[in-house]
Amino acid sequence: MVSTIDASARSKALDIIKSSMRELIDQIERGEKPTLVMPKRTLTNTIYDYKHKMLLLGPELQKRSFTDVNEAKKFMQTLLMASIIYDALRNNEYPTIRDLYYRGKHSITYKSIDGKRVSENTWDEQRESDSVIRDLEVLLSVLREDLLILSKEKGKVVGNLVIRSGDDVIDLSKMGHGAYAIEPTPDLIEFVDIDAEYILVVEKDAVFQQLHRYGFWKKNKAILVTSAGQPDRATRRFVRRLSEEYNLPVYILADSDPYGFYIYSVFKAGSITLSYESERLATPTAKFIGVMMTDIFGDSIFRKIIKDREARKTLEEITPGITDLKPKTPYLSESERSNFIIKAKTRDLERAVELIGYRVAEVCIEEKDAKNKIKKKEGLTGYPWFATPQWVRELCIFFNTLSKLEIEAMASKGLKFLADKYIPEKISTGDWID
Amino acid sequence: MLMNQTEEIYRAASPAEFFYRYREIAGFANPVRAMYQTIRELVENALDATDVHGIPPDVKITIRKADETQEFYQITVEDNGIGIPPNIVPNAFGKVLFSSKYAMRQSRGMYGLGVKMVVLYAQMTTGRPVEVITSKANFKRIYYFKLRIDVNKNEPVIIEAGSWRKTRDWHGTIVSVTIEGDWSRAKSRILEYINRTAIVLPYANITLVTPENEIIHYPRIVNTLPKPPVETNPHPHGIDLEILSGLAKNAGFNTIEELLIKSFQGIGDVTAKTILQNAGIDPSKKPSDLTNEELLALVNAIKAYDKFKPPSPKSLSPLGEEIIIAGLKRAYEPEFVTAVSRKPSAYSGHPFIVEVGLSYGGKTPIGEDKPVVLRYANKIPLLYDEASDMVVEVVRDEISWDHYMITFPAPILVLVHVCSTKVPFKGVGKESIADVPELRREVKLAVMEAARELKQYISKKMKEEEAKKKAESIAKYIPEVARSLAIILADESTLQSFKDNISVKLSHIVAKRTGVPLELIQSIVKSIEAEA
Ligand SMILES: Nc1ncnc2c1ncn2[C@@H]1O[C@H](COP(=O)(O)OP(=O)(O)OP(=O)(O)O)[C@@H](O)[C@H]1O
Ligand SMILES: [Mg+2]
Repeated sequence: MVSTIDASARSKALDIIKSSMRELIDQIERGEKPTLVMPKRTLTNTIYDYKHKMLLLGPELQKRSFTDVNEAKKFMQTLLMASIIYDALRNNEYPTIRDLYYRGKHSITYKSIDGKRVSENTWDEQRESDSVIRDLEVLLSVLREDLLILSKEKGKVVGNLVIRSGDDVIDLSKMGHGAYAIEPTPDLIEFVDIDAEYILVVEKDAVFQQLHRYGFWKKNKAILVTSAGQPDRATRRFVRRLSEEYNLPVYILADSDPYGFYIYSVFKAGSITLSYESERLATPTAKFIGVMMTDIFGDSIFRKIIKDREARKTLEEITPGITDLKPKTPYLSESERSNFIIKAKTRDLERAVELIGYRVAEVCIEEKDAKNKIKKKEGLTGYPWFATPQWVRELCIFFNTLSKLEIEAMASKGLKFLADKYIPEKISTGDWID
Repeated sequence: MLMNQTEEIYRAASPAEFFYRYREIAGFANPVRAMYQTIRELVENALDATDVHGIPPDVKITIRKADETQEFYQITVEDNGIGIPPNIVPNAFGKVLFSSKYAMRQSRGMYGLGVKMVVLYAQMTTGRPVEVITSKANFKRIYYFKLRIDVNKNEPVIIEAGSWRKTRDWHGTIVSVTIEGDWSRAKSRILEYINRTAIVLPYANITLVTPENEIIHYPRIVNTLPKPPVETNPHPHGIDLEILSGLAKNAGFNTIEELLIKSFQGIGDVTAKTILQNAGIDPSKKPSDLTNEELLALVNAIKAYDKFKPPSPKSLSPLGEEIIIAGLKRAYEPEFVTAVSRKPSAYSGHPFIVEVGLSYGGKTPIGEDKPVVLRYANKIPLLYDEASDMVVEVVRDEISWDHYMITFPAPILVLVHVCSTKVPFKGVGKESIADVPELRREVKLAVMEAARELKQYISKKMKEEEAKKKAESIAKYIPEVARSLAIILADESTLQSFKDNISVKLSHIVAKRTGVPLELIQSIVKSIEAEA
């Protein structure tokens, strides 16, 4: 049996699809070319909203007319996808995007004008059907979860939290050594009871498990979440809802490398390629608690660099206030540092430039070889939400040391250190980046 | 020591004797070629007796095996032309260089040689005389002649002559000869000749009865004739000393001024006086009193005078665009056909007109790397010596066909018709046209003009194809779109009718937007629904 909340979500989705398609019918009845109008899903139409601190789709619209040769197939695919989703909703099914791909894939055979029989598929690769699903999300301004489309579950959560999922009530503090796998439709979860001070999101599943077994969340009254790498939609939506509905601070603990910084940015601002979801998935209040470059190296390297007038000027131009930063002492000793840090790869360097822009790299990198490696990224200006004094300092140190560090390294210094000193101390002293 | 010297013997040969000996220069080299040439000479005379005089031609050619053992063939050509007065017949068929076509008027014949070559060839191969039956429209009798040629004297020898009363309203000529030929090898050329003649003569009825009794018939499909040529005086620029002294001695004018005004086109009082003054000749001088030096001065003065009007084209009889198009349509059922009839032009005092027909697609023969070329001169198809022909050279080498959107091999054929009071043939066999710059230029311009029209057609067709392709790339999705909308918006019971309704409406919208006929869209949509 379908739960009540599920049933009502379905009927809402059915109505949304119907009313959008009815507009097309009206156009057709009037003899007009049927046209789908939706926000443009391109990078150029992706903007960073400073006020809401998230990536959003801009105001540009895309018109997809059936009678436009270049759009006809996409138009057909969009409608085909709408009909499959509609059918699934009506039949109480929960298709995955892979299911939708298979359900819609069939061949259209027709007699061409030169008399030949020609066959073509509605779509060939899942890439095509996935893209149409994203189009439908922006067209209908809903998320796929609203259409009861399931994705793989990856995120997990434990903590003093009782939820209702479907018709079951689950106490997330009684999961033993395991954890609750965040369901693909987090909007259908009902939060029944909660007793927590903050949410801690850990990038690494292994570290999540260690903290869980150590009893971190009980001790600190935290809701402990892991995204197990790049966060999926459900995890992001879950974190967003929980923090928003209970006004809980969210701290992100990720690797100290550009990739970890980016994961934080996806939680906080949204993903650049799927900016239309940010409004529902992003958590603009999320804070980066670590691991910070300054946790490893302190800030002496940075202070030395900005002694140079030119360097200081360049960095000030990117964001004012780099000289007003609070001083920082490292958590690691000289010898620990040399044991734990890993040398950055070219890929890391490039990603760092994408985040903060080429000019910071140019000022902070000393090694000639590394400088040459990023030459091709010249001209990149970085993401606006990284243009803060703290992030400039973090990435400048990264460029200068060409080093990175995984959270596991912090755990190897001692789980006790991580759970009882590093995290609580940073939270209580406000040593994070917002 | 005295050499034993043979005495050199001098004597004059008659024109008949000359051509009898050197028949190959007139196209009678061997039985195959001679058979083809015989047909040509007789048919061309028949046509000259008809369309030149405004009579829609009815020409019947009969070829009959005339001997059990030897390759003798009786060839009979019958026309409905103007006929020949009985007193003229003997010379017309029995005296080499006797003709009615030396006049300034476009005709197929020009040398006064054709039919005499046939008679001579018959005489030397089968020994049989030519038979002629003829009557003019206003005659009450039909005349009959059997004659041969005295080769040495270049005189006709009448073997038999007679006449009988006309019982029906007939005019025309029937000429019958028996020659040695080679039908099996000449056949394809002869059929091709008839076919090509029919292409430019859609206004003629042409019938060929072969020795196998096959009947090949090209009925008349057009009722208008090309405008017949009008005889004109020669243009002064076509003159030479020989012609002028001939006129001065024989034409019987009182003054040289009168001679100039009356014998040439485009010379009036003022012009005549100016020319004579330039030549230093007294206008009132008697033509026969002019000295050789004066005649030469006059020729030079005429040649140097550059204010003559161009030669009058009245003496020409071009086919006209409609006739060319009709002929090509019948022959090739082409997808596209056009014709260009250029404005009159002139070379060395001879007016000429170039006409071009262009046939594309349908049953047009495929040109491997250049268009197929059909050459015509004064409505005569030219079949031999293609390689040395100026027209072929222009069409093949001077036109960049790719500029006109043609990629070979392609079904494209170019017909070129040159008509003139004097077509510059390379030989008396009339098989190829010599390279005259004025002519070459006109041929090129005409072909380019026709090719431009073809290009327009092809690019329009390509645009239409594109529009169709475009419509197709949309129409093929109509059923899928209609079905999807039906699933979302219709109930179980109305699903089919809802879908059909949307499908029809979308077809209309797509047809309107792409400018492609609705039927085409619907046929694509249907072809999909049939599958499902
Ligand atoms: N079928 C015919 N009907 C009427 N006149 C004819 C016919 N055949 C021949 N003649 C007359 O006989 C003349 C001589 O014909 P012939 O073929 O020898 O020379 P031609 O046609 O004048 O020139 P060419 O040598 O170029 O053919 C023609 O000029 C024409 O006057
Ligand atoms: Mg003749």
